Amino acid sequence: MSILKNLPQRKDEQYPSMIIAGAREHGEQPHELANKIFSEMRGDFRYKEFVLGCLNCGECTTGCPAARFYDFSPREMLQVAMSDDPDVLLDAMQEKIWACCQCYTCNMRCRFGNDIAGIISVMRELAVRNGLESAKEVLKPASRSLLKVMTHGTQVSPDMIQPDFFIDWDPKAVSKTGDLIALRKAIPIDVLQVTDSSWEVSMQTALELAQIYEESGVLDMLRSLDPDLVEMIVDIISDWKDEFEEMKEKFGI
Amino acid sequence: MICLASPRILVIGGGPAGLSASIDLFEAGADVVLVEKEDVLGGTPKKLHYSLIAPDLKPVEEVLDPLIRQVESSAVTKKLGTVVSAIENGNGHVNVTFTSNGGKEEAVFDAVILATGFTHWDPHKKYEYGYGVYPDVIDFKDFEKMLSDDNLARPSNGKMPARIGWLLCVGSRDRQVGKFYCCRVGCAVSIKQAMEVKKKHPEIDTYIYYMDIRTYGFWEDQLYWKAMEDLNVKFIRGRIGAISKGDEGSLVAMAEDTILQRPSEVPFDMLVLTTGMEASQGTVEMAKLLGLEMEEHGFVRPLEADSLPVHTTVENVFVAGTATGPKAIPDAITEGSAAAIKAFNYVRRSRGKKATGRSMKKDARAYAE
Amino acid sequence: MKMLSADQIREVVKARSEKRAVSDKKVMDIREEMWNLHDKGEIIVIPIEKKNKPVTVRTLFGWEKKVPTDHLWHHKSCGQCGNIPGYPASLLWFMNQFGTEYLNEPHQTSCTAWNYHGTGTSNPVALAAVAVRNWHRAYETGTFPLIHCGTSYGDYKEMRKLIVENKEVRDKVRDIMHHMGKELTIPEEIVHYSEWVHVMRDRMAAMSKYDLSNVTATVHEPCHYYKMVPEDAIYDESVHGGQRPAPPTALMISLGAKVADYSTWYDCCGFGFRHILTEREFTRSFATLRKIKPMVEEAHSDVAITTDTGCVTTLDKSQWIGKVHGMEFMVPVLADVQIAALAAGAHPYKIVQLHWHASPTEKLMEKMGIDYTAYKNDFMKYLEQIKNGGEIEYLYTPHREMEKYFAVNKGQVLPEGMKSRTG
Repeated sequence: MSILKNLPQRKDEQYPSMIIAGAREHGEQPHELANKIFSEMRGDFRYKEFVLGCLNCGECTTGCPAARFYDFSPREMLQVAMSDDPDVLLDAMQEKIWACCQCYTCNMRCRFGNDIAGIISVMRELAVRNGLESAKEVLKPASRSLLKVMTHGTQVSPDMIQPDFFIDWDPKAVSKTGDLIALRKAIPIDVLQVTDSSWEVSMQTALELAQIYEESGVLDMLRSLDPDLVEMIVDIISDWKDEFEEMKEKFGI
Repeated sequence: MICLASPRILVIGGGPAGLSASIDLFEAGADVVLVEKEDVLGGTPKKLHYSLIAPDLKPVEEVLDPLIRQVESSAVTKKLGTVVSAIENGNGHVNVTFTSNGGKEEAVFDAVILATGFTHWDPHKKYEYGYGVYPDVIDFKDFEKMLSDDNLARPSNGKMPARIGWLLCVGSRDRQVGKFYCCRVGCAVSIKQAMEVKKKHPEIDTYIYYMDIRTYGFWEDQLYWKAMEDLNVKFIRGRIGAISKGDEGSLVAMAEDTILQRPSEVPFDMLVLTTGMEASQGTVEMAKLLGLEMEEHGFVRPLEADSLPVHTTVENVFVAGTATGPKAIPDAITEGSAAAIKAFNYVRRSRGKKATGRSMKKDARAYAE
Repeated sequence: MKMLSADQIREVVKARSEKRAVSDKKVMDIREEMWNLHDKGEIIVIPIEKKNKPVTVRTLFGWEKKVPTDHLWHHKSCGQCGNIPGYPASLLWFMNQFGTEYLNEPHQTSCTAWNYHGTGTSNPVALAAVAVRNWHRAYETGTFPLIHCGTSYGDYKEMRKLIVENKEVRDKVRDIMHHMGKELTIPEEIVHYSEWVHVMRDRMAAMSKYDLSNVTATVHEPCHYYKMVPEDAIYDESVHGGQRPAPPTALMISLGAKVADYSTWYDCCGFGFRHILTEREFTRSFATLRKIKPMVEEAHSDVAITTDTGCVTTLDKSQWIGKVHGMEFMVPVLADVQIAALAAGAHPYKIVQLHWHASPTEKLMEKMGIDYTAYKNDFMKYLEQIKNGGEIEYLYTPHREMEKYFAVNKGQVLPEGMKSRTG
C-alpha cells in the first residue's frame, strides 16, 4: 500500500498498466523530475494512441536491430511506457531510448497495434525538452547536423562528409576535398552544385522554415538542450532576414 | 385444427454439429434433410484428415464414424455434393433451392439449422513466416494429415525431421490481420500433435512457442502437464517473430524468450503454424441467404450469446457448431443436439400460428419465454 | 541451401492455394476522411488530375492507389543529394527520356524527419507544418509531389494521418501556414519515387541497352517504405506471392535480372538515423553482419538494390571497414533507378554518378557489358573541363539568380497575405 500511495494521481483511469515497480524504499518519493516527465508523457495526446496494451509475445524484440547489439528491447520499452512508476520511466530515458533505430519493424509486427517506435520518439522529445544531461551527452555529436537542419533545412551536406568524421568509410568515398567543388559541378542538376547543403535552399524557404520552428516551439525546446546552438541559429536567421530585405530591393520585389 | 405432419427441418452442413442435429431430429420424429456440399459426411475434421481428437486422444474415425453411420443408416434424407443456392423465408415456410451436378431441386421446410462451420485461417497472410515460400513451414492442418497418414516427412526432402517447432496463435489474437479472438483449440491441438510425435518418435525434439497456453478444463493436466512431464515437450514463452532459412536447408525460428528476456534463434527442420479459425465461406454465404446478423468477428450472431446460443436473429433459423465462433468437436456435437430440440419445439409450438420469419432482434426475451 | 529465384518462389507460392490478395485488417482508410475535410473546407486536397496521367496500383489490403506519372514536383532527399547524387540524376534523366514535365526547385526543405528520428528535436506541429509547406509549393505550381526519400514518404503519411485525425494540430498548422500566405494542403496520395519507377518499369526495360541476365541481385526493402504505414505500400501477387512489397523486385525482374532471396531480407539496414552519424560501430556491424554477409554468402549477389537514401548509404559505405575483420564483400549497392539507368545506357559517371559510391561498381558493369573505362576517361576529361571553367551539362535549364532568394513562379512572387480559402 505504501508503494501505491507514492504513485502520482492518474488523470485518466483508462491508462493500461502492467507494472507496479516496487524497488523504492518505504515512504521514499519518486524523483521530482521523474514525476514531471511522467505526467508530461501521460498527458501527451499521442500516449493513448500509441500505447494500447501488451500480450508480452516478444515479436517486437525479435525483429529489433538494436536488441541485437544493445541492452534494449522494444517490449521492455513498451512495459516502461505502461509502468505507473515515474522512476522506471526516467531510468529508461537516460540511455535506453537512444538505442532505438526507429526502423518501425516492431510496429509492423506488433499484434496489439502499439506504436512502439512512436512512444520512444515521445520519450526522446521529453528527454530533450527537459534538458536531461544524458540527452545532452548523447546528442553532442549531432549538433553539426542540427545546425544544418535548423538553418538550411537539409540534414547532411557534402562538406560534412570528411575523413575525420567518417573515418570508417572508404577514404576514396569521402576525401574528395580537393575536387569537391568540381565534382559537385559535374552533377547535371543546378540546385545540387553546392557543398554546404544537400541542395541549394532558397532564402525565402529557409526563412519560412525558421518561422515554423519558431511558431511551433521547436526553438524553445532546443534551448533546454543547447542554448548556444539556439543563439547561433537566431543570429544566422537574423542576418538572412536583413539580406532578404536587401535582395528584395535589388530584384525590385 | 392440429396439423399432424412431422416438422420439416433442413440441416445445412454435415460436420459434427450437423450430424448430431440430424440424428436427434430424426429420433424425435422430424422429417430431416441434411445437405452437404462435399461428397462425404464428417465435415472439416474428416475432410482434412485430422488425426487424434482431444481430450481422450481417440482417432477421428472413432469419434465421428459412429455419428456418420447413424445418419447413413437412418431415414434422414442425405443430399451430398449439393449446395443451397436460394432461400425464401416467409409465412412460416422456408423455400429452399438445392443445386448439385444433377441440377436444381426445390423443397419447403418449417425450420433450418445452420451448421456450416469454420475454415482454418490462411497463413499466407502473415508474411513473416514464409508460408508458401519455405516448403518446411506448414500449418497445423497439413501436419494433422501427416500424423493421420503416419507419414512424418519434411516436404522439402521427404526425410524424417529431427526437430519440430509449433507457433501458436497464427491468425488469432492479432490486430495486424484483423483476427482479434482466440481459436480456443490451437494450444490443445498443438500440444496433442507434439505428444503424438513424441510417443512414436521420442528422439524428435519438439518445441512449442506460445504467449499464453489455454488448455481449458481437463486439457490442462491431460495435455499440457502430461506433455511436459511424460513426453519432454519443450515450451518457450515467446512468439516466433520471423522465420528465415538457415544452414543446410534448415529453418531458423527467431523469437524473444520472454522469460529469459533474450533473443533466441533456433534451427528447425519443420515449423508448424497453429492457424486460427474463421467462419467458413459456407457460413458467410448461408447467413447472407438466410438474412442472419453477423457479429463483429465475422461469425453468425446468436440471438443471445449467453442464454440463447443456438437461436439466431431469424426465428425459424437455428445455428450449431463453429458457425457462431471457435469451438472444439465435443462442443459442436452438443450444440447440434441443442439446436435440434430448439428447432423441433419451435416448429411444434408455431404450428397453427402464423410464423413470419421475422427478425428476432428486439423481442428475444419474450420469445424465449 | 539451394537458392530460390524470385520466379521459383512465385511458382512455389502459386502452387499453394490462396494468396494474400486482400488482408482483412481493420484499418481506416485515412484518405476517405481527408476528402471529407476537403468538402468541409478545412483543408485543400491537391488532386491527381488527368494531366498527371495516373496509373492505379494495389496496396497491402488490395486498396487502390493512384500513382501520378507526369507534372511532378521533385521532393528531394538530403542523403541522395548529399552523397548519392546519381540517385536523383538518374530519375530526372529517365523523366527527360519520357518527356515528363517536372519541377526541381530550391524552394524545398527536407522533411526534417531524419533529424527527428535521430534526435527527437522537433514536435508534431513542426513536422506537420514542414510537410504542408513543401506540399503547398507543389500546389501553387500546379504539380504533384513525388517523394524521393523513404523516410520523408513514411513521415508524410504519418503527418497526413495526424492532420486529418487531430483537429488541434490541424488548426495550429493552418495558422502557421496562413502566417506565410499559404493554405493547409494535403496531396491526394503520398507517392514515393520508387512507385513511379514501379509503374514505369516496363517502359524503362524497353529502353535496355545492356543485359542483366547474368546479374544476380538482392533486394533490400527500406523500412520506412513498408513498415511505417504498411497499408499504403504497393504489393502485387506476381511478386513474392504478394507477401513482400512489389518495388523494386518487379523492376529487377522486368530488367531481366535474377532476384535472389536471402534470410535477413526483412531486417533494417542499420542506418538508425542517430547511429549512422554518431554510433557507427553499430551501423557498420549491423549492415555488414546482418545484411551484406547474407546477401553475398547466401545469395551470391552481384548487386544490392534498394529504394531509399539511408539504405544505399549504409549498405554501401559500411563495407570498406570490414577489411579489418577479413570481410571483403565489396558488393555494389545501387538504387533501383540507378541500375535501370545503367541498363538503359545512361552515362555511368555523368548521370549515374557512380564515383560517389564506396563499393566498386566496375565488376557489375563488366557483367552488364558496359565499357566503363571509356566512360571513365570521358568523365575525367569532363571534370578537367569544368575545373577550367568550361561548359557544364544540365538536365534542365538552371534556375535564375533571383530564385536563390525568392520562391517565384511564372515570374511572380507569391502575393503576401493571400486570401485564405481554408479555415
